[in-house]
Amino acid sequence: MGAEHLISYVAERLPELWLRTGEHLMLTGCSTLAAMFIGVPVGILIFRTTWLRGPVMGVIGILQTIPSLAMLVFLLALLKKIGVLPAIIALIIYALLPIARNTLTGLEEVSAEVMEAAEGIGMQEYQQLMMVRIPLATPVIVAGIRTAAVVGVGIATLSAFIGAGGLGQFINRGLALSNTKLILLGAIPAALLALVVDFSIGAFEWGLRPERKRDKKGSVQSLMRPLAFMLPVAIILTSMVTYFTKPGWVFESATRLETGHRIIRIATKNFTEQLILGEMMAQLIEAKANFMVERRFNLGGTMICHGALVNGEIDLYAEYTGTGLTAILKHEVITDPEEALYHVTKAYHERFDLQWLEPFGFNNTYAITVRAADAAQNGWNTISDLVESAHNLFAGFTAEFAERPDGYPGLRQTYTLQFGEVRDFDPSLMYEAIRKKEVDVICAFATDGRIAKYNLKPLKDDRNFFPPYHAAPVIRTDILKKNPELADVLKLLGGIIDDATMQRLNFEVDAKQRKIAKVVEEFLRAKEIL
Amino acid sequence: MIKLTRVFKTFDGGRSFAVNDISLDVAVGETLVLLGSSGCGKTTTLKMINRLIESTKGTIEVNGRDVMDHDPVELRRQIGYVFQGIGLFPHMTVKQNVEIVLRLLGRSSDSRKRRVQELLELVGLNAKDFSTRFPDELSGGQQQRVGVARALAADPAYLLMDEPFGALDALTRESLQQELLALKRRLQKTIIFVTHDIFEALLLGDRIAILHEGYLQQIGTRKDILTSPATKFVRDLFAKPARQLDVFKDHS
Repeated sequence: MGAEHLISYVAERLPELWLRTGEHLMLTGCSTLAAMFIGVPVGILIFRTTWLRGPVMGVIGILQTIPSLAMLVFLLALLKKIGVLPAIIALIIYALLPIARNTLTGLEEVSAEVMEAAEGIGMQEYQQLMMVRIPLATPVIVAGIRTAAVVGVGIATLSAFIGAGGLGQFINRGLALSNTKLILLGAIPAALLALVVDFSIGAFEWGLRPERKRDKKGSVQSLMRPLAFMLPVAIILTSMVTYFTKPGWVFESATRLETGHRIIRIATKNFTEQLILGEMMAQLIEAKANFMVERRFNLGGTMICHGALVNGEIDLYAEYTGTGLTAILKHEVITDPEEALYHVTKAYHERFDLQWLEPFGFNNTYAITVRAADAAQNGWNTISDLVESAHNLFAGFTAEFAERPDGYPGLRQTYTLQFGEVRDFDPSLMYEAIRKKEVDVICAFATDGRIAKYNLKPLKDDRNFFPPYHAAPVIRTDILKKNPELADVLKLLGGIIDDATMQRLNFEVDAKQRKIAKVVEEFLRAKEIL
Repeated sequence: MIKLTRVFKTFDGGRSFAVNDISLDVAVGETLVLLGSSGCGKTTTLKMINRLIESTKGTIEVNGRDVMDHDPVELRRQIGYVFQGIGLFPHMTVKQNVEIVLRLLGRSSDSRKRRVQELLELVGLNAKDFSTRFPDELSGGQQQRVGVARALAADPAYLLMDEPFGALDALTRESLQQELLALKRRLQKTIIFVTHDIFEALLLGDRIAILHEGYLQQIGTRKDILTSPATKFVRDLFAKPARQLDVFKDHS
C-alpha cells in the first residue's frame, strides 16, 4: 500500500477515528477517575484497619483475575444493559487493584521515624495522615493511578464487545473481517493514547513534587506547573466534549423521533457473516418500513447478543438454530433441520418471549475441510473417505470445536476417525494454517468466504453428524406485536440465501475487502427486493 | 518541673521490664542527662514523659499534673522534642519544618515567619539561605540544628532530646554541644537529654541519671558520681575510660 493510499485511507476514517478516540478516552478517564475516588480511600481504610487488609485485597485481587470478556458477560447479566455503563464498571474494577495496593504500600512505606516525629510534635491522628503520611505516599499513589490508567487504555479496547465504542471498535471490526488495516487503525492510536496518558499523569506527578513549590516566579518550571496539572484534566474534558457532541445515532435518532420515526436496534456478533446479515436486515427495514435503524453491530458473541436481546437492549439479531439449541437452550443435538427450528421457536417463545422468523436458507454448520488439491489427488469427497488416512493428517480446530460434544469428540465416535495430531487455533488463524500447509484438515464454517479464497474443499457429512445451523432473524415479541409489518418485511429474506450464495457474500467482504453495505445493497437489488 | 514516681514499663505483659521502678525529678531550668547503653530504658523513659509510650505503672507529672490527665496532643505541643533520627519531614522545607508546631497551634503566617527567622539565627543557620531548602539538601549537623529549632518553635518550657547528636561526626558533635550549652544558659529551659556518651553526659548534665537494664543506678551531679559511685556498674562505667586514658599516658 502506497503512502498516498494510506493517507487517504486514514483521512476517510478521520471523523470516526476522532469519535472513537474520544470514546476511548472517556471510558478510560471516567473509570480511572472513579477508581481513584474508590481505590485511594479503600487503601487508606485498609491501612488503618489492619484486619480488613486480607479480605479486601483478596477480593480486589480475585476480581482482577476474572478474564475481561467473562467480566463483561457477567456485568451484562447483572446490569441487564449493554454499552458504556458495564464497560466503565469493568474498567473501574480492573483499575482498583493497582490504585488500592499502591495507596496501601505508599502509606506503609513512610518511615516510622518520620511518623514518630509527627506524633511527637503533637499532631492529631488525622493531621499525621493528612500533613505527613499522605503527602509522603503521594508519588507511590500516583504511580498506581498511572499504571491503572495505562492498563485501562488497553483493556478499554474490549469495551467494543458490548457496544461501548472506543478504538476497540476498529480492532473488533478488523478481526471480524480479517482486515489488518482496520485492526491497526484501532491498535496504533490505542498504543499512542497509552503513551499520552502515561505522559500526562507523569507530568501531573512532576507538578505535585514539593520542590516545585519554590520554583522562582516566572521561571520555566513555574510556568509549566499549572500546565502539568491541567494536562490530564484537559485530556478528559476534551474526550467528554468529543463524546457528548458526537454526531452519530444519538443525535440523529432524537431528531428522527420527533419526525415520527420509530427506532429498531439491530445487533450482530463479531464475524463477517453476522455483519452481512445484520446490514441486510437493516437496509431492508430502512427501505420498506418506517423505521430508523440503530446498528449495534459487532457485539462480542452469542451470550452477549442473547443477553442484550432478552433484556431489551436490542430488538433483533440473526441467530443459528444449532447455536440456539445447544448454547442457549442447553438442549441436545437435533439433526433434523425442521425439527431443530420447531424446537427453538417453541422454546424461545415460551422461555424468553422471543420470536424466530423464517430462516435465510443457508446452513452454516461445521464442515470438515481440506485443501481442494489434496482432495482431488486422494479422491476425498466425504468425511468417510478420510478415515483411512486420518492418522497421517494434522488437524487444526477451534478450541470450541475440539471440546464440544457436537465437535471433534462426537465426530471421532461417529466416523471412528482419529487424526494424527490436533492443534487448537483462533478461527482466523485456523484458515491461515491450512493455507500455509501447517495443518491438513480444519473445521471450517460451511459458508466462510475463505473456503473459496484459499481454494479449500468442505467434505460431505455423509453420516449426518453435524447439527444444522440455519440462520434466522430472532426478534423481541413485543416489538413484533406493536409493528406486525416487520414480520412481512423480514419475510422477504426467507430462503433467499443458499450456502453457495452466503459463501460468495462472505468472499466479497473477506477476500475482496469490499464494503459490507455495498455488497448487501447489490445483492438485494439483484434479488429485486430493493 | 518533671517528676517520675515509681515508674514501670513492660512491653511483653510483665515478663520483663524495660523500665523498672524509676523515680526521679527534674527541677525547673535544670538539665538532666539520662545515661546508659542501648536497651537500658533511657529512650523509653523519655518517651513516656510526652506519652509517645505510656507507662505500665507509676505516675509521671509535668508541671505538677499527671501526664495521663493531659490530652496527649496538647501535652506534646507544650514539650519540645528532638528526635534521635532527626525526624524532619522530607516533603517540607526548612521553614515549613520549623513552623509546623506553630501552624498546629494556629499562629498567624506573619508571626510564624518572624519566629522561624529568629529560631534559625538562634541555631546558627542563615534564614535567607536555608528556609527554602529541603532536609535532604542539608548536612547532618544542619539537619539537627533545624531539629532543635523545630523543638524550640513554640517556646516550650521543657525540651526532651533523644541522642540528638549520636549520628554526627565528632567535630560537628562537639560544636553542637557547645552551642547547646550556650543556648541553655540563654533560654533557661528544663531539658532531659538522653545519651550513651559519657563525655557528653559529663559536659551537658547539671545532674546525671545512670540507667542499666531498666534500673536507675544512681542520680547525682558530676562530682557525686565521679567521687562516690553508688554501684559497681557506675564505678566500672567511669573507670573504663580512665583506664584507657592511662594506657595512652603510659605509651607517650
